[in-house]
Parts: sequence; structure tokens; C-alpha cells
Amino acid sequence: MATTITPTPGAKSATADAARARKKLPIRPWLRALHRDVGYLAVGFTVIYAVSGLSVNHIADLGDPSFKDVNRTHQLARRPPEASTSTEAVASSVLAQLGITKKPSDVYRASDTELDITLTEEHRLHVDLARGTIQEEAREPRFFLRLANWLHLNRGKKAWTYLADGYAVFLLFLAASGLFMIPGKKGLLGRGGVFVAAGVLVPVLYVVLSGGP
Amino acid sequence: MARLEQRRRFIQRALAGTAVAALGGVYFLSDDLTRAARAESRKDGRPRLPPGQRVLSKLRPMGGEPSDTPPSQYRVKVYGEVEAPFELSLGELAAMSSEHGVDVHCVTGWSVLGARVKGVPLAKLAERAKPKSKARHVIFEAAHGYTSNVPIAEALRPNVLLAQGLEGQSLPRAHGGPLRAVVPDLYFWKSAKWLEGVRFVEHDEPGYWETRGYHNHADPWREERYG
Repeated sequence: MATTITPTPGAKSATADAARARKKLPIRPWLRALHRDVGYLAVGFTVIYAVSGLSVNHIADLGDPSFKDVNRTHQLARRPPEASTSTEAVASSVLAQLGITKKPSDVYRASDTELDITLTEEHRLHVDLARGTIQEEAREPRFFLRLANWLHLNRGKKAWTYLADGYAVFLLFLAASGLFMIPGKKGLLGRGGVFVAAGVLVPVLYVVLSGGP
Repeated sequence: MARLEQRRRFIQRALAGTAVAALGGVYFLSDDLTRAARAESRKDGRPRLPPGQRVLSKLRPMGGEPSDTPPSQYRVKVYGEVEAPFELSLGELAAMSSEHGVDVHCVTGWSVLGARVKGVPLAKLAERAKPKSKARHVIFEAAHGYTSNVPIAEALRPNVLLAQGLEGQSLPRAHGGPLRAVVPDLYFWKSAKWLEGVRFVEHDEPGYWETRGYHNHADPWREERYG
């Protein structure tokens, strides 16, 4: 015997219908495919901007992250010339022992035992003539961070401006497509909505509570 | 259903992991150096470590724009409201220098205790310059226009130095070499790096950070961080 089941009208049924309708949104497969491909394209840019962003965020605390300050101590193999020797001769002897051929931009003898040799603004030698020790102070570039910061801060200008604009557009697309590419049980009325609201509220509350610019 | 439970389990584990990481952070913040320092007091009765500070084993550079002046041309001026203004070369300063143990406190929340700093007390230079009775403040003038202001009574305390050495070596450029001020009892931004002048003035002149929202006085024990 055949039985006919008549659906009972009610809220639950209406929600299920709405969910089904949402799930059938024909643009979703396209959004997912585009989100994935744009995401692939954005990986390289994101790594550069994120790593550089972390480092430049802390410039005030830690100095320029594109460079590292190096401090090395050397011991002279031979005693430097006597204190009475001219400053230039002492400096030449020290540089020869270190195998440095570059001409110093400044040589200063603060006392009989202290000699400062400036090779460049960022490469200096402090020589203790009494002990025969050299404190080498230099600033050396960090390969990846220097390049990443150069790109992030758009120091090169030219075509990078357009590439960075393109990346920003990609990010906007990723944010927007992420909202709709997977329907979820309640869509943006559920957890998705709470997370979106939280993401919007964090900067808004920060501006309000900190007093803003 | 099984998928839902799997997701719940994942979220629970993620939360537990976050809690463990946060506890690790708390442990990191209450490290041994800081705990030991909290138990110590200064001669003036104040705790050795000001509130809100954590002890580091060595100074952090903290940025700034170094001086371009070569050491052979470097001079520091002591002038302003004084009877006998003068200039000193690095060599002349080095001849007057001696080593001092100092505690320093950065407004960002770190302190270094007992740093070995080689320098000349500013009070010694002031004896030679003879500040006029109307001089009320000292302005430390550094490279590229950076300044900081300190009341004269605090600037002439015996622990305020013009420093050229740190931990037995020449003061590194990143730390203000060849010459910086060291004002141990005020937040460290008062200790101007790449120092070029010490000016005695009658009226206060808030400096670089003081005009950008930081406290004009900067006493770490009162947590005078922001104005």
C-alpha cells in the first residue's frame, strides 16, 4: 500500500529549504576555483609582504631589519708599531695584518693605545694597541629581509607599484570570495558572520580605544 | 556527525595548545634575572627594578639615525647658560673616562642591570663649564636634530655619564658610538645617542620624544612613560 507523506509546514523546513537554495548558488564552484588559483598566485607575494611586515613592524625596537650589526674581535698576530710611529703607519700595519686593502676614510688616534679606523660609515675598526686586539664593527645586509623590505616599502618604484596594486586587488578578491565559496550550515548568519564581525571590530575597537591617529 | 566531532576535537586541541603557549609566555616573562632583580633594593630605598620592567642580559640597540661625523672630527660642545663653554674631542674625553656600573631602563619595558659603561660624569664637565645660576635644565643634543631634556639637578647626579665604552669595548655605533649620554635614573630615551652637545638652558625644551607624546620627566619608578 502506497503511503503519501505530506510535509508539515514549519520553521525547520523553511531553514532547510533556504540552506538548500544557498548550496545551489551556481557561482560557488567558480569562486572556489578562482580563489584557489588566485591563492596560488598570491603565495610568493604574501610571504614577502608578511615576513617584511613582521620585521618593519619592529623597526623602532630593533633597528633596521634589512641589516644586522656585526661585532667581531680579532687578535693581531704581530705587535703594532711603537706608540711613537705615525698614526697612518700604525693604521697601515693593522690593515695589512687583517688583509684589508681598502683605503680608510678616517683614522683617529684617541690616545697612545686607542686607534679608530673608519673604512666606511658602516665598517669601523677600534684598535687597542696595548693589547693588540681589534673590535670590528660592521653593518651587513640580511639577504632576504633586505629584498623583501625593499619590495614591501616600494623603494624601487617603477613597475613594482603596479604589481603591488595587482596583489592588493587579489587580496580583496580572496577576502570577498572566501565569504561565499563554501555555504556552511548557516552561511554568514552562523560562525562565519561572527568571525567576519570580529575581524572588522578588532581594528575599529583599536582606533576607538586608542584615541585614533 | 563523525566529522563534527572531529572538528570539535580539533578546536579543543587548538585551544589547549594556545593555552600552553600562553603559559609558556608567562613563564618566559617571569624569568630568573627579573625575579632576582625584584628582590633587590637601591641605596635610596627604591626597588632596583622599576615596575613593569623585565631584565635583559644586554642592551638592545633600539634604532635611531647614527652620526655621520668621522671620529677625527667629532667634538662635543658644552655650552649655553655657562660661564666657560668649551668643546672636547673624543681623545680628550677618553683621557677623563673611567668605568662605571649602571642600570638602564627602556620605556618599552626592558632593563639592563650593572652594564659596564666607560665614560665621564657630566658633573665633572659642568665643574669646568660653570653653569650660571639661572640654568635649570640640560638639553642633550644628538646627531640629526635629536634632543632630550633633563632637569639640571638630575643631569648633574654622579651617575649621569657621557659614555664612550660598553662592556670593555668601544661603544658600538648601534648603541650611540662614538659618544652617548647615559642617564640611568630616567627612561633610556633621555640618554641621547650620537651625542654632539650638552646645552644648559634656563627654560625647559621638551625634546624629540617628549614632543611626540612621551612623558617630559620619564621617571621609571613612577612609570612616567607617556605624557
